[in-house]
Amino acid sequence: MATIEERVKAVTARILKLDPDQIKTEHSFTVDLGAESVQSIELVAMFEEEFGIEMDEDAALSVETVGKAVEFIAKVCREQGVDVEPATGGPNDSP
Amino acid sequence: MRLILVDSPEEVRGNFYPLALSRPLWELRCGFTSLGEKLIARVGVGDVAYFVADYMADAYRAKARRPVNDSSVLDPCFGFPQGGVPRRGKLVPVKTGNDLLIVDPRVKADSFDVAAKGPSEVGLDEQGSVLYARVAKDDVAKLPRDEVGEFIAAAKAKLPNVRSAVPTWRYIWDLVLANAEQITADFAAAGRNGIEGTVEQPTAIRGNKKDIYIAPGVTVHPMVVIDAEDGPVYIDEDAEIHPFSRIEGPCYIGKKSVLLGAKCRKGNSIGPFCRIGGEVEESIMQGYSNKYHGGFIGHAYIGEWVNVGALTTNSDLKSDYSTVSVMLDGRRAIDTGSTKVGSLIGDHAKTSIGTLLNTGSYVGAMALIMATGKLLPKFIPSFAWFVEGIVTKGFGKGKLYETAKMAMSRRNCQWTEVEQSMWDAVFKMTAPVRNEAIKKGRRAMLTR
Repeated sequence: MATIEERVKAVTARILKLDPDQIKTEHSFTVDLGAESVQSIELVAMFEEEFGIEMDEDAALSVETVGKAVEFIAKVCREQGVDVEPATGGPNDSP
Repeated sequence: MRLILVDSPEEVRGNFYPLALSRPLWELRCGFTSLGEKLIARVGVGDVAYFVADYMADAYRAKARRPVNDSSVLDPCFGFPQGGVPRRGKLVPVKTGNDLLIVDPRVKADSFDVAAKGPSEVGLDEQGSVLYARVAKDDVAKLPRDEVGEFIAAAKAKLPNVRSAVPTWRYIWDLVLANAEQITADFAAAGRNGIEGTVEQPTAIRGNKKDIYIAPGVTVHPMVVIDAEDGPVYIDEDAEIHPFSRIEGPCYIGKKSVLLGAKCRKGNSIGPFCRIGGEVEESIMQGYSNKYHGGFIGHAYIGEWVNVGALTTNSDLKSDYSTVSVMLDGRRAIDTGSTKVGSLIGDHAKTSIGTLLNTGSYVGAMALIMATGKLLPKFIPSFAWFVEGIVTKGFGKGKLYETAKMAMSRRNCQWTEVEQSMWDAVFKMTAPVRNEAIKKGRRAMLTR
């Protein structure tokens, strides 16, 4: 099963029409990946669908980078009792 | 005698959504004034109290200058004449000894001919629902007074019942369809005509000048046409009519509203503090809303704090001329029986540029529409973010509240905690149908 990071990158690539291999955890959704506000709404919706979770909109939309999204989703999955593979397959950009 | 307006239960109030999500039915507008103002004027009393849905009681209490959800008003020994007697900055109830007249706000005031004074009597409609209850003070004392619903049920059970044929408002679009006629009646009742404001020349006035009233403080710029040939035109205090506006009667323009070169076709009631451009026909705007730019709105009811984006247009007539149906609950279409019904737009809704609304569309309160140029679905739930052709959760209600605060502050009005609590309740009430629409949107998003 894919890690959270791989799944986040796959969803991001699909919505923003990018190559998943070009997406890095340190990338900002808006500055580096070019997400517009409408696409941010789609990203949150598709992350919820992908992981079967429900995210607080304000908190979700305050997440700026791919790596932070991975952390945030991992936390929500834990809180909502959703089983997922480890957040990443290797080091990420969390502090 | 005390008049008590008791709002209808949710299943009835739902017929007046999305406008009634945030106000009692008597605050809805038709003609010059609200339904409540008409009932109060008809009954002719100053002592008035209200019972509203619990979730809006605090917010409404902050606006109404009369008792709200205060069951002590059912006590025959205490009263609030003219709202009470002021003592140390508060309104204090004083002894009066009152008969009570409890009225369902759906009752059409112009046809309500029940005498304020008289023996106890409970008027029922065909289904046996109480339309009014006149309760003499001696009988008031015999009824349970802790809760208004119990009081009315006991009155119905113990006091003489009569069959009442007084007509009632059934649906929100009834108000829109009756608006032109109501403006004409209200103009006659107001008994005013003439020009008390400033009318800069050249301005063209068509029809009989007796059918026009321009209140003090109004400024009508040059190159305006006021056409009272088919009905009266009443422009209320401090309104401003910019050049190239055309106002066709019957029409009511509310206080401090501005027309910006608008084609204001017949049958419009524009509440206070609105800004109107483009073309508007046979529509009601509650107040504090903007339709600043071009685009057509017809046979619509638009709530407060709505922003209608440039070139937003609604259809109000189907291309096959059949009757228009409306979905008030997002599930079941109701045939209005009318070939002309436009949009019903709830408070704080915002439409983007180029929004195209289908005939008989419902746009929920706090909904935000980012149109794509295609005709929208006929039902947009409250608090929905309509993005890329689907209903989404968008940036959530917090962001919508921020926008509402901002919009209100621009008109020196305040978004209050009690108002936010009321909207939180509306958010919960409207969640099931919104969540269904969001799920449907998700499915559409996944297949793109």
